[in-house]
Amino acid sequence: MSRRGAIRLLVVLTLAGTLAGAAVVYFGVYNVAATEQHTAPVYWLLNAALKRSVAQRAENIDVPPLDGRIENGLVLYREHCLNCHGAPGVPPNAFALGMTPLPANLAHTARTWDVRDIYWVVRYGIKMTGMPAWEFRVPDEQIWDIAAFVAALAHLTPREYEALAARVGTREGPLKPAETQAREDAVTPTPHPAEGDAGRGKKALQQYACVSCHEIPGVVGAIHPVGPPLAGMARRGFIGGVLPNTRANMVRWLRDPKAVDPDTAMPNLGVTERDAHDLAAFLETLR
Amino acid sequence: MSRPFLRPRCCVAPFALCLLAAGCGSASETHTAGGDAERGRELLWQFGCGTCHRIEGVVGAVGEVGPPLDGLARRVYIAGVLTNTPENLARWIRMPQDIAPKTAMPDLGVTEEQARDMAAFLYLRR
Repeated sequence: MSRRGAIRLLVVLTLAGTLAGAAVVYFGVYNVAATEQHTAPVYWLLNAALKRSVAQRAENIDVPPLDGRIENGLVLYREHCLNCHGAPGVPPNAFALGMTPLPANLAHTARTWDVRDIYWVVRYGIKMTGMPAWEFRVPDEQIWDIAAFVAALAHLTPREYEALAARVGTREGPLKPAETQAREDAVTPTPHPAEGDAGRGKKALQQYACVSCHEIPGVVGAIHPVGPPLAGMARRGFIGGVLPNTRANMVRWLRDPKAVDPDTAMPNLGVTERDAHDLAAFLETLR
Repeated sequence: MSRPFLRPRCCVAPFALCLLAAGCGSASETHTAGGDAERGRELLWQFGCGTCHRIEGVVGAVGEVGPPLDGLARRVYIAGVLTNTPENLARWIRMPQDIAPKTAMPDLGVTEEQARDMAAFLYLRR
């Protein structure tokens, strides 16, 4: 191909690409609904870009001494962070479960991110994720308190968290965990087929934040090993290590894990009975 | 990248050593987290852990009663109730019934040293 021909081809391809991009935007091809997870390539790209962006900017931050900050960090955490992120064994508030991306489980963040990165994200927030910037609302010293507490989540069991939270208390008193359960009757009271709808269950995995803590094959974004992987769940003998794996037990576990095992890190997420059946039906497809 | 983004915290450092050791492949270099991974593999077989767990690298460990142990090193919690550190894993292996009385996992009479060896091997399973 002549040089001129190559240039012409390049121009044509660039134009075609621009037009295709414009068409995707104009015709609203990409679904922005929070009930739909990103496609796998988009999820990967956004995730990688986020991590690289934070790492680049947080790299040279000087970390002050972090000892003795955890208790104050917990007070601030409960005031500003708990609603969206939950805590060991404590669910996020109902509205946060409807967000895409879901607010991260920070015990996992604590194990995989540096404290500088955590500080940076708390201070500056993350565009288009729902993570706000606290720079103009919380003094820098307190942002470090929060970062220190989040980093400590790597070694805080649900029981230890509960004890610490009870000891520290907050201005508005201890939070009531699992209050989302109260909305049970208000949402989806419709009768459901007892066999459950696996397709609907797959979507519910996102809406109940299952994807924040379990690796689940075929589900975009379910890549955070806080608890055990759910691959092969249909054949697993026990649920949560304590209940024989039957449909009735799975529904019971999904709806109220704390009643089965008070020490479990899995929070009560206010799953309705219908949704529990749909989730269980999906899990039964994981052979 | 001038520093790894996923900077391991202190508790993860031993896992990295495990990986290095695994890369070198010699039994003498698999001593990690206070345990001997090669002996740990043998013990996981001898105590029948594979009856209930899938464990890559242990012959016949294809059990599906409890969760698979591949990738255990990256998990945040052990049995949903303990944070995942080599010490906690060894403690769990020795006395699951003390830690979670309702768990299906039995106390198998594993000694402290044996538990450390098993933990060392399991932390190779990233």
